Amino acid sequence: MRAACAIVGMGLTAQGIGLGIGSRELRAQAIDLALADAGLERDAIDGYIHTYLDREDLRYMGLSPNFSLSILAGGATPALSILSAIGAIVSGQAEMVACVYGQAQSAREASGGQKIGAYAYGYPSLYGLVGAAATHALHARRHMHLYGTTSAQLGAVAVTQRRYATVRPGTLGYGKPITLDDHQASPMIADPLRRLDCTRDTDGGIAVLVTSAARAKTLRTRPVYILGGGTGHNIANWHRGTVYEHHDNIAPAKTRAFAQARLTIKDIDIAQLYDPFTISPLMQLEAYGFVREGHGGPFYADGGAGPDGPIPTNTGGGQLSAYYTTGFTGIAEAILQLRGEAGAGQLKRARTALVSGHGFNAGVQNTWAHATLIFGNEP
Amino acid sequence: MSDHASELLTRITALGGDVLDLPFWQACRDGRFLLHACGVCGRHYWPASRCVVHGDARMRWVAASGRGTLYTYTVMHHAYTAAMKARTPYVVAVVRLDEGPYFHSGLIDCALDDVAIGMRLEATMIEHDNGLVAPVFRPVPG
Repeated sequence: MRAACAIVGMGLTAQGIGLGIGSRELRAQAIDLALADAGLERDAIDGYIHTYLDREDLRYMGLSPNFSLSILAGGATPALSILSAIGAIVSGQAEMVACVYGQAQSAREASGGQKIGAYAYGYPSLYGLVGAAATHALHARRHMHLYGTTSAQLGAVAVTQRRYATVRPGTLGYGKPITLDDHQASPMIADPLRRLDCTRDTDGGIAVLVTSAARAKTLRTRPVYILGGGTGHNIANWHRGTVYEHHDNIAPAKTRAFAQARLTIKDIDIAQLYDPFTISPLMQLEAYGFVREGHGGPFYADGGAGPDGPIPTNTGGGQLSAYYTTGFTGIAEAILQLRGEAGAGQLKRARTALVSGHGFNAGVQNTWAHATLIFGNEP
Repeated sequence: MSDHASELLTRITALGGDVLDLPFWQACRDGRFLLHACGVCGRHYWPASRCVVHGDARMRWVAASGRGTLYTYTVMHHAYTAAMKARTPYVVAVVRLDEGPYFHSGLIDCALDDVAIGMRLEATMIEHDNGLVAPVFRPVPG
């Protein structure tokens, strides 16, 4: 499966808070941008995968694919949409699959009352647990207890990612640096997570086009090859009683992805890790083996995830400081870096990228879906 | 089904709870703390589950200790709703029950500064604002 397929087109719309563009229109714009990027006509798309939606309006998209498929696996959905696109291509069901996201998230109203089963396994919302910050805070608190991780070290994650975003036009953090003091002064949301530990919802759309490696070589863009992929689900750690030590069940996901890619962790130049909260990339760097278990905090404080560190991570600012297109935020940044199109944020060494997706799936708190993708700019 | 059970079922359904856990909520009214357990291997579960080894055939509700240790927690500071404003800051706890399962709950009789992972806790039943009798946890005295 190594490098069977590649991403040959990407369309990234404006991203931000209160854009005033509807979700459907964001998706339509993203598709048009992706087709233009790849130099393809509309009829080239013969497979369509939409993320988070029940139904898609293909008439409005101006497309006529042979299938239209909906995927919902929390923040792992975008990575899973790409793995599904590979499946469709390798099984001979499509030649060019569009994986599409577009949501006007910042316009979403708070729904108020919630069911006692929300965030469930065990009715935490009955006791006043509200919001994803609180569910991730349970992991952060446990990590602090086990390893002595501090709020300032979580702040180092926020500052590191903001530094990347400050030079990236179109991101929330563009031209707006923050300091550790800013982080420490930001209000507590769900202890130990402060406001600057949290991602904000933004509006935006993105579409990526996946095709076979053979066809990719005939197109005008520099292909981003999908070298490997894998999945893991934290339900296994729930059953083992170790769910709070594990941000996700990364072990099976990374094992499969690296085996397919025939690479080791040392071969990865950059990481784009799903980062709704600062604790998330910190724990993932440990679980992937970039950093020793429990050492994520000092690693960030020492600049390890910065541009000159051992593993530059979330190099466009990530969800925390760039924009929130769920798991597509990291996918888009990996594509830009591997193509050499990241502008002022372009890293010198960006031949391989590890991308993760993580999210609420199967209706239960802390039994998150996880997906790993390994990209390379050579097959 | 008794009138009490029927009324509880209606309440649980309206609140978005899982009907499978109804025996647990019924027992809470009588001050009893139950867990779901496998009759083959004795492993305990919460909420209602199929045994990961033995499936559903021998699953039943059994009396449990209602005791455990604080495994992790968060203190809710941000009031997402008007109703939360009157309560914040407050603790949402994850208790590791002595029988094994995690149990999300509230914490009472414990100042915020005294909350510590590993502390011994025991369940006590309270009537929630929504009418449900549910366990909350408090430090084990002494």
